[in-house]
Amino acid sequence: MRGKRTRPEEAATARSSDTELLRAVAAGQVEALRMLHGRHAPWLRARLARRCADPDVVDAAVQDTFLALWKDAHRYRDTGRDPAAWIWTIAVRRLISALRGPGHRWLGAATTPGDERVSPSPEELVLLRVEHGDLGDALNRLPPELRAVIQATALDGLTVREAARLLGVPEGTAKTRLMRARARLRELLA
Amino acid sequence: MPWHVDEPLLEAYQQGRLDPSRVMAVDAHLQACPACRSAVPADAEWLDRSWEAVLDLIRTPAPGPVERAAERAGLPGHRLRLLAATPALRWSWLAATVAVLTFGVVAAYAGDARTSLTWFLVAAPLLPVLAVATAYGPPFDPMHEITSMTPSAGPALVLWRATAVVGVSMALGLVAAALLPGPGWYAAAWLLPAFLLSVGTLALATVLPLPVAAGLLATGWVIVAGGVSIAGEADLPVVFGPAAQSGYLLAAALAAGVLTRRRRRLDPGESR
Repeated sequence: MRGKRTRPEEAATARSSDTELLRAVAAGQVEALRMLHGRHAPWLRARLARRCADPDVVDAAVQDTFLALWKDAHRYRDTGRDPAAWIWTIAVRRLISALRGPGHRWLGAATTPGDERVSPSPEELVLLRVEHGDLGDALNRLPPELRAVIQATALDGLTVREAARLLGVPEGTAKTRLMRARARLRELLA
Repeated sequence: MPWHVDEPLLEAYQQGRLDPSRVMAVDAHLQACPACRSAVPADAEWLDRSWEAVLDLIRTPAPGPVERAAERAGLPGHRLRLLAATPALRWSWLAATVAVLTFGVVAAYAGDARTSLTWFLVAAPLLPVLAVATAYGPPFDPMHEITSMTPSAGPALVLWRATAVVGVSMALGLVAAALLPGPGWYAAAWLLPAFLLSVGTLALATVLPLPVAAGLLATGWVIVAGGVSIAGEADLPVVFGPAAQSGYLLAAALAAGVLTRRRRRLDPGESR
C-alpha cells in the first residue's frame, strides 16, 4: 500500500530524531513507527492517565494515536518545534473521541495535524516556569472548573469547543470560564 | 529548561499526588523536554501489548469505497462484508444476471410480441425465487459447513442474502423489461408476482426447507400462470390483469406478516 522504496540512508535508526522518524513513517516504514511508539507511548500514557481514570480508554487512545500517526505522518510539517507537541495534540483528541464513544469518531477524524499553533502560547511559556514564582500558587487557588478550562486550552492545545466537549459543558460556558480564569489569574498574580 | 522532572516528582505525578499547578507544570515540561519524556518508566509488557495492538490496527485493511458509501448511507458495514465475502452468492448473482438479460434479448427478438411477452412475464418472477433458493444452504454454498458454525448463520443470514439477491435480480429484470417491445407497463407486470413469490418462498421456508419451498412455489406459478396464459386469448393474460395484481399485493403482505411472525423458525435447509 505504501510500499514506496526507500533509500538505505533514509532507514530509521535508534539515533534518528522524531522528525526523521515521522518522515520515515510517512514513507511507510513500520519500524520507524515502532521506534516512535517506544519513545512516546510511555509518557503519552502517563499524561493521558492524568485526564482519564479508565486505563482501558487510555490504552485505546494511545493505540489510536499511533494509528493516526501511521495514516497522517505525511501531514506533519516541520516547523522547528518539537514533534512531541504535535503528537500530544493527536493523542488528547483521540482521548476525547474515545471518551465520547465509537459513535463520535468524527471528532477524532477532525484531527488535522498541521493546524497546531506554530509558537507556544504565552500561557504555555508561563507554565514552563510554574515551579519558580507565584504562578503555581495562583493556579492552585483557581476554582477547579476554571483550572480545567485553562488546562484543556493552554496545555493540551485544544480549541475552546473541544475543551467544552472534554469537560461536558456547552461551548459558551467554556468560553466564559476561560475568560473568568484568565481574569482571576491576572488578579492573583497582580 | 530551568529545571527537570526528577524521579520523586515523576512518581508523584504518575500516582496523582501532585498539586494541580504542578501537574500542569509537569505536563508542559514533558511536552518540551525529550530527556524527561524518555525518563518516564516504560512497562515493557504494556509497551509490547500496546505495540501489538497498533500493528493489528495498521494491518487491518481499510474499507473499500463501496463499503464506506454504504456505511454512510446507514447500512451496517459488517453485513456488507459478509455478503461480499460469499463467492457462492456472487455466482448466483451472476447466474441471475445472465438469465435475466438472456430473457430480455430472447423476448425482444424471438417470435411474435404477444408470446414473447407472455413467456417473459411468466418466467421473470422465477428469477428472484431461484436467487433466494440458491443463496444459502448445503448444495449451493461450498462454505456452508463453515458458515453454519458461525453465530451469524441461520435465519438472519438467509434474510440478508435473500434481500441482496432479490434486490439485484429485480433491478436487472427491470433493465431487461425496459428493453422489451410493447407498452411500458406490461413489462412491469411481473414485479408484484416476483415479490410475492420471493416473500412467499421465505414464508413457506418457516415450515419447509428453503429449496423445497422455492421449488413448490415456482412449480405452482409456472403451472398456473403458464396454463392460464396459454389457454387465454386476451392481449395481456388475466394472471397479470389489475385484479390479479391487487391479489398478489395482498398475498405478499400476508406472506410478509407470516414471515415476520415466524422468522425465528426459518429453515435454511441444513440438517439439524
